[in-house]
Amino acid sequence: MTRYVVRRLAQMVLLFVVFLTVTWFLLYALPGDIVKQKFAMNPNIPPEARQVAIERLGLDKPVLIQFRDYMINFFQLDFGLSFNQYPRKVSDIIAERLPRTIVLFLTALVSYYYAGFLAGKYLAWRRGKRGEMAVTIGGVGLYTVFYPWFALMAIWLFASELGWLPISKFLNPDEWRNAPFAANQVFIRLFVTVLAVSIFMALVVLLANRIRDHRSRAFAKVGGVALGALLFVWYWWGTAGGALMRPYAGDIAEHLILPVAVLTAVNFAGIMLLTRSSMLETMREDFILTARAKGLSERAVRDKHAARTALLPVTTSLVLAVATVIDGGILTETVFSWPGMGEVLVTSVSNEDIPLALASFSFIGVMALVGHFLVDILYGVLDPRIRVGG
Amino acid sequence: MTEKIDARPGADEPTDLPPPIISPDSVPDSMWRIRWALFRRSFAHNWKLFRANRVGLVGLAIIGFFALLAIAPTVLFATGIWNSAVYDPVVGLEPNPPVKAMTVVNEITDPETQIDFRHVLLDNRIPNNIQVGEQVEIPQQPAPPDRRHWLGTDPLGRDVLSQLMHGARAAFFLGILAAVVTVIIATTVGSISAYFGGALDSFFMRLADLLIMIPFLAILIVIGAIFEFKLWHLAVVIGLLSGFGGVAIVLKSQALAVKVKPFVDAARVAGGSNAHIIFTHIVPNVMPLSFLYMMFTVTSAIQGEAALSFLGLLNVRISWGLMIQLANTQGYLLQGLRYWWLLFPAGLAVTLISAAFFLVGRAMDEVVNPRLRKR
Amino acid sequence: MNAPPLLEVDHLVMNYVTERGDVSAVEDVSFTLHQGEALGLVGESGCGKTSIAMSLLRLQAENAVFKSGEIRLNGENLLALPEDEMRRHRWKDIAMVFQGAMNAWNPVYRVGDQIREALDLHFRPRLSDAEATERISRLFEMVGLNPAMANRYPHEFSGGMRQRAVIAMALSCDPSIIIADEPTTALDVIVQDQILQELKKIQRELGMAIIYISHDIAVIAEVTDTIGIMYAGKLVELGPTVEVFARPKHPYAFLLLSSTPSVTGPRRKLAPLEGEPPNLLNPPTGCRFHPRCPFATERCSIEEPPMETIADGHRVACWNWREVPVSIVQEARP
Repeated sequence: MTRYVVRRLAQMVLLFVVFLTVTWFLLYALPGDIVKQKFAMNPNIPPEARQVAIERLGLDKPVLIQFRDYMINFFQLDFGLSFNQYPRKVSDIIAERLPRTIVLFLTALVSYYYAGFLAGKYLAWRRGKRGEMAVTIGGVGLYTVFYPWFALMAIWLFASELGWLPISKFLNPDEWRNAPFAANQVFIRLFVTVLAVSIFMALVVLLANRIRDHRSRAFAKVGGVALGALLFVWYWWGTAGGALMRPYAGDIAEHLILPVAVLTAVNFAGIMLLTRSSMLETMREDFILTARAKGLSERAVRDKHAARTALLPVTTSLVLAVATVIDGGILTETVFSWPGMGEVLVTSVSNEDIPLALASFSFIGVMALVGHFLVDILYGVLDPRIRVGG
Repeated sequence: MTEKIDARPGADEPTDLPPPIISPDSVPDSMWRIRWALFRRSFAHNWKLFRANRVGLVGLAIIGFFALLAIAPTVLFATGIWNSAVYDPVVGLEPNPPVKAMTVVNEITDPETQIDFRHVLLDNRIPNNIQVGEQVEIPQQPAPPDRRHWLGTDPLGRDVLSQLMHGARAAFFLGILAAVVTVIIATTVGSISAYFGGALDSFFMRLADLLIMIPFLAILIVIGAIFEFKLWHLAVVIGLLSGFGGVAIVLKSQALAVKVKPFVDAARVAGGSNAHIIFTHIVPNVMPLSFLYMMFTVTSAIQGEAALSFLGLLNVRISWGLMIQLANTQGYLLQGLRYWWLLFPAGLAVTLISAAFFLVGRAMDEVVNPRLRKR
Repeated sequence: MNAPPLLEVDHLVMNYVTERGDVSAVEDVSFTLHQGEALGLVGESGCGKTSIAMSLLRLQAENAVFKSGEIRLNGENLLALPEDEMRRHRWKDIAMVFQGAMNAWNPVYRVGDQIREALDLHFRPRLSDAEATERISRLFEMVGLNPAMANRYPHEFSGGMRQRAVIAMALSCDPSIIIADEPTTALDVIVQDQILQELKKIQRELGMAIIYISHDIAVIAEVTDTIGIMYAGKLVELGPTVEVFARPKHPYAFLLLSSTPSVTGPRRKLAPLEGEPPNLLNPPTGCRFHPRCPFATERCSIEEPPMETIADGHRVACWNWREVPVSIVQEARP
């Protein structure tokens, strides 16, 4: 298993380097004078400073030297200075935006995967092949709906008309006027919470499944959930920072609801369809018959054998899903004016702010690769056949 | 002769093979005639399988509908039913839009919707020196649907239905071009990788791995920044990304499955060159699967273009994404249902056509992949 | 055999409901099984033998309907039980080794854990970890497997090993009956023989009753005491294996046994079966075999023959069984 992990990790790093190289050359080595033009047009920069800037940005050096410098700096997390927000450091901008995207992204991913899997599992078990046409058409319709259109309608319905939820952005500026800390600190706390909850739940399930005795296992799961809830309460009510931040976090959470709901609704259909067909195929396998013959209850056969094995192709799809959710995230951030990585990518590209665009694209690539890597590991945990040689 | 029914449960499904050629006399003589006859026979057989799953038919129906929409403008313009000065989707202008009498509260914005009427004021139909408090007749742009414009007009006075139809054209053009590029590339890459193996195989598979990992839209956004995209540029780029990406992996495993079949060995023993074997034997057996993935590529292409247009990053004459983008940036979309004709047709069109191709793809999946058929 | 029978199948009738109508899969089948007895059910594909096997465990297909008849295990009618009570009987009283049993293993769990699952279901009080491990080790030894393999995953076993493991799992809860459905079909000839000998040995040692289901007469002949021949959903002949092989009295059985060339015995004329099994949506009137039967008379197409006892323990369902000659067939090995 360790060998598998190490090997995948090495492959990921290699892929990333290739990815970064290609992207850099695309953005920088092309019409090289765009860069200089940029400075010509930016009114904030006085002419003398322009030369200084060019030197600082290393734009007067030969291309390959620039590339080498960039790569070295990149891995030290120095991404240069933004053109449009000159002389703000790109890394600052990214650091500011990254937590917001990750919170949105993680919450949505967990939410729609879980919902989709459950829905697919029940649909396959209960109704089998019946209602196939309705489920397929409905599912595909949701899955291929034009995202911005759907999101805008949701905003209109829930925010404008019904007024239940805020319209856009990620916080209500009025409420934050006297906040003692920056939005990002709250975001980081939220991010830690979401991450911790996800990992914790995964651990609880994994460890509890090792316990053989049914009753003890159920007890362990309930205990684990209770423990998690306690930790959560302590983090937000018990600690000083948490208690102070709570109302602000609540505001952010309120702004999270609609984007996450829309992302979930659209993507859940894909997972649901996949789980359903995976379950239907698994249900035809011989080992399901054996499980029944052994005297297992229907529910146990479904969950312990069918669902568990059907999970494999679904997990493989998680790989593609990472990319899709990021794409959906980009559109979501644009529509909801949620200032995160996706939104900055779009704006920096529109404004030809090349260092920022490059860095945000790279980070999106990193997120995708990391996600992919984690899913590979998850798959290795779930399917023992992969771990051997592979 | 009565049909023999095998009564075992589950055994009454259509078998895998098309019905055999009946007698030696009916076998045509030349190789191409034989191929054509076989093709027609297997097509008929596959069509029957495809039909069995009604989902695919729904998809085809929707595609047919949009195809009609795409053809319509040519007919309408040619027969003069539509005057292109008025109905052209980009430069047309409704000369006599419905008017609404309003009291000017603020000379720039419409009091009801707070929409900027500056662009209307540039229109020669409004006197320039209106005062606050005056009653003015403001031409409605966008105008709601009426007899001359079945789906109303957009903020620039252009006919929405015409835009929708031309958008359908753009969508088909884009989708099909992208799909064809994908199929050509993926089939070639997949077959070559499978056939030659080794370093070539590794290279293409690593490339594919990289491509499927990076978010599709993000790549398009970045590439769109570097090159000014016209529609066909976009189609080719999408085709390249898909062709070298996930589709190549799938087709390669299919090509592998074909490669190990005895008839390939037979061809090699008979002295066939590599190119001959690849193109005459492997590729035709991989083709059905390629067509399947063509459908999904069309879906991605259409969605991708719509998203890019929506984000304002595309330079296209007219497309559905552009329609929504215009409506959005001018603030009409958040008015909800008031300007429904700006919002619904375009968004619904993208959704429906994407869904349709996807459904057809799924139905084809059942034809091409026997395991998925109803048992 | 004077003890009360362990299992009684009493005039079982089962149909499959399909879009085109009802398929008569099992038609009025009756037989008994005693403790320690090895019964074989032979017939072509689709003759109903697997349907019967599934019915014994009530694992029949979703569209299967029991029209009438009973299946009594120690006097209790299994068909009348509610599902949760039936579950208690599964594996503990009747266990099954499936066709193509190598795929009976779930690939994501260890083999030992899957056997453990069965143990946990049926042993009260629950076995401790140590007890369970010990039991599984003993089972593995009994089927000729290395006990250490219990901690491995199914894909680490070879085909033959998986088959043995399946037998071990079937034995795990000490069932009184084992059903072996085509236990050797998917294996190569040498392994086939080993598995069969293994099964025979285990059966004798543990005194279990076993029902072999196969289309391969050679397999059946080797390991069974009693043999039942099925055709188109009906049981057409039933009797001690030696007797039926030496003197088959149903025309179908006769033709079946005569169509196998004998390697060591004297040369004789082969009598192949013409035609195909009937469509069970619309079975032939009267005796289901009559369209293909060389001994058929007019009565055969009108009236279905009942099972009559023609010798001790030997039953035949045929009007003209007396016309069937004695064939020279290789004797079944005892």
